[in-house]
Amino acid sequence: MEIKYLTDKKSIAPLVVFRIAFGAMMFFSTIRFWARGWITELYVKPSFYFPLMDWQWAKPLGSTGMHLLFILIAVSALCIALGFFYRIATVLFFLSFTYVELIDVTNYLNHYYFVSIVSFLLILLPANRYFSLDVRRNTSIRCLYVPAWTIGVIRLQMGIVYVFAGIAKLNYDWLIQALPMKIWLPAKSHLPLVGPLMYKTWVAYLFSWFGAIYDLFIVFFLINKKTRPIAYAFVLLFHISTAIFFPGIGMFPYVMIVGSLVFFDESVHYRILRLLGNSTVEGEEKMYYFKPPVQRSIFLLLGIYFLLQLLLPFRYLVYPNHLFWSEEGYRFSWRVMLMEKSGNTFFYVKEPASGKKYEVANNTFLTPLQEKMMSTQPDMMVQYAHYLQQVYAQKGINDPEVYADGYVALNGRPSAQYIDSTVNLAKQAVGWQHYTWILPYKHNQ
Amino acid sequence: MKKRTWMFLLVAACTSSIFYACSKGDNGGNDTGGNAPDAFKTAMLTNYADTLIIPAYTDLLAKLQALETAANTFLTSPSTNSQATLKVSFKDAYISYEKVAFAYFGPGGTAALNNSLNVFPANTKRIEAGIASGTYSFTVPVASDSIQGFPALDYLFFSTDAVTKFADAGAANRKKYVQDIVSRMKSLVTDVLSQWKTNYRAGFIANTKLDVGSSMGYIINQLAFEMDQMKGPRIGWPFGKMSGGTAYPTNCEGYYGSFSVSLAVANLTSLKNYYTGGTGRGIDDYLLLLGKSSLNSTVLARFDAAIAALQAIPEPMSASFTNSNSPYIDDAYTKIQLLLTAIKTDVASATSIRITYQDSDGD
Repeated sequence: MEIKYLTDKKSIAPLVVFRIAFGAMMFFSTIRFWARGWITELYVKPSFYFPLMDWQWAKPLGSTGMHLLFILIAVSALCIALGFFYRIATVLFFLSFTYVELIDVTNYLNHYYFVSIVSFLLILLPANRYFSLDVRRNTSIRCLYVPAWTIGVIRLQMGIVYVFAGIAKLNYDWLIQALPMKIWLPAKSHLPLVGPLMYKTWVAYLFSWFGAIYDLFIVFFLINKKTRPIAYAFVLLFHISTAIFFPGIGMFPYVMIVGSLVFFDESVHYRILRLLGNSTVEGEEKMYYFKPPVQRSIFLLLGIYFLLQLLLPFRYLVYPNHLFWSEEGYRFSWRVMLMEKSGNTFFYVKEPASGKKYEVANNTFLTPLQEKMMSTQPDMMVQYAHYLQQVYAQKGINDPEVYADGYVALNGRPSAQYIDSTVNLAKQAVGWQHYTWILPYKHNQ
Repeated sequence: MKKRTWMFLLVAACTSSIFYACSKGDNGGNDTGGNAPDAFKTAMLTNYADTLIIPAYTDLLAKLQALETAANTFLTSPSTNSQATLKVSFKDAYISYEKVAFAYFGPGGTAALNNSLNVFPANTKRIEAGIASGTYSFTVPVASDSIQGFPALDYLFFSTDAVTKFADAGAANRKKYVQDIVSRMKSLVTDVLSQWKTNYRAGFIANTKLDVGSSMGYIINQLAFEMDQMKGPRIGWPFGKMSGGTAYPTNCEGYYGSFSVSLAVANLTSLKNYYTGGTGRGIDDYLLLLGKSSLNSTVLARFDAAIAALQAIPEPMSASFTNSNSPYIDDAYTKIQLLLTAIKTDVASATSIRITYQDSDGD
């Protein structure tokens, strides 16, 4: 199990810089989230939520509770950055942040998933053994070196994000049709200098192909020491462009810009640390050692973890439907900004005994964002149908049945009927199984 | 190290110069119709402000002035004759309002104009209580909405024994109540119009973005929103679509004056006009610019089908809800739903404008 390459002695600096950057970024994005009123907007105001996988225990905690939870996230992020009670901070951050993400899949974003799993990895890593308050409290824990794998897992995780985002782009619409870029770019014609170019077809192709090639290969150029500086220039170019062109993606570009620093070697990281404060390299040249049984368990755990990481993006292959259409196996696969999809769904509640039919005003139960997300994601429709069944039963309707009439437009093709409107969605279950009631995607549209 | 730093700078310099050079290059290609694209959007938004929205407010203000004159004549000598004359002016003004209902953003949104002018059904009990006591306020958000505006006037002018009530013991209070409503409507519209003419217009035209809260974002969102209103409060709810078929005929727009169909037709016709931009540039031209001509044809056809279906409903709509004419309502309802889907799903998607009133990250 002790593979030499994995346990090689490496400088701790890249890990420390990653810890500080990650903690600081999470701290500021939590503050930003709060300042924009999104805690209330997304986790207090709605009357109904869509927990991931229908896990009903993942409930919002009310206004006070949610704000306290976000304080916990912010404080633990700050503690991660400062390396203060690091192990406790990473565990608390991972649990609290992940809990928030489980409450409502409406708010699912790939970079939130990234934050969750990276904070999980950080729990296992000795990133507080240098340049931290924990070291200041107890200098005996200070280490200048760590086993190579502790930095390697972060690099591998970054690599997985990039490569899978690239693989996801290898599809007909993206490469041959330049969709959705052809749709999205004209909406950016207000931009200075480049604005007039946004209507040009070749620009859409340039963006599509450049994006795909960048995602597929950037990590290999980052690994190679010779190409690393140029590769990082491309990291900056790519992510700053996406931040300008698609401000809607929020923090993601910055997370990747800062995260990609982990590929640089120690000299760069020592320079960064010197900018941040006094960081002497002198002193005992200690290396952090995991006890062999602990290290073996961690290897086993990480083995399973990365195996899952590699398998999850391909799980869509076991579903018969078109992935973008049915979204079965879509999440947790680094499919970022990949398609233009919108929908419109009308729900009807029927009382079988009387034959009475009640159309549902979705906006009484859902926020505009929830309604938008639900209208293109089948598992959310089922969750909503279960909720409507309850609500209408309480209103005195006997055995309410819930039907939906939905239309979805994918990548600019004319909207088409999305689900079988004769299926009682209240009787359907949320899960990994294939949803037979999604109508097949018509390729010739 | 030095060599790599140089290469880093080289890539950075190259990329920025590419962007710069490209933007300086030929941008008068025929795919933008010989115009720089910003000029296209600016011209379109100018058309919206100058030939659609501002004239619509100007017209409404003029119609409200005419209504005030007719109302005063009626209040001075209430009779079925003066009531009939009043009805013409009232209907004119109400129909004119249907053309500004769309512009529920900017000054109109800030003033919550639609809430004060057209929340129906009117709360007749609270209106009568206000008249009886002589104390009422039109400025309490939400609570005041249903006791003023066109729906309240509709009730006060045209409900059964409306004429006699203006001649009975409480007539003085009732007349004052009417005058208070009309003057509030006039002052709200005057204010919104003057804001459009002074400050708002320039910002509206200059904002060529398409994000949430941009001018075009408002246009698409309001088209969808007004169609939702048509499907819900104007037709679906009173028809009983939400209530298992139990109709609420008195809840329809313009119930007492019995011209609900005319109002609905005026509303949807004006939405079509906002879609096409009238004779100037509109969303239809923008779709053509984007190469979406078949979508544009679909939308136009669905507009025409929905308007025709509405026109086919016999007045009064409230009676058609429950009598043998109800299939006409069902038909119009279905066609509006199709139109709504085209706007909310296809047009929003093609223009990449989000139908939401919320700002958030998304990927």
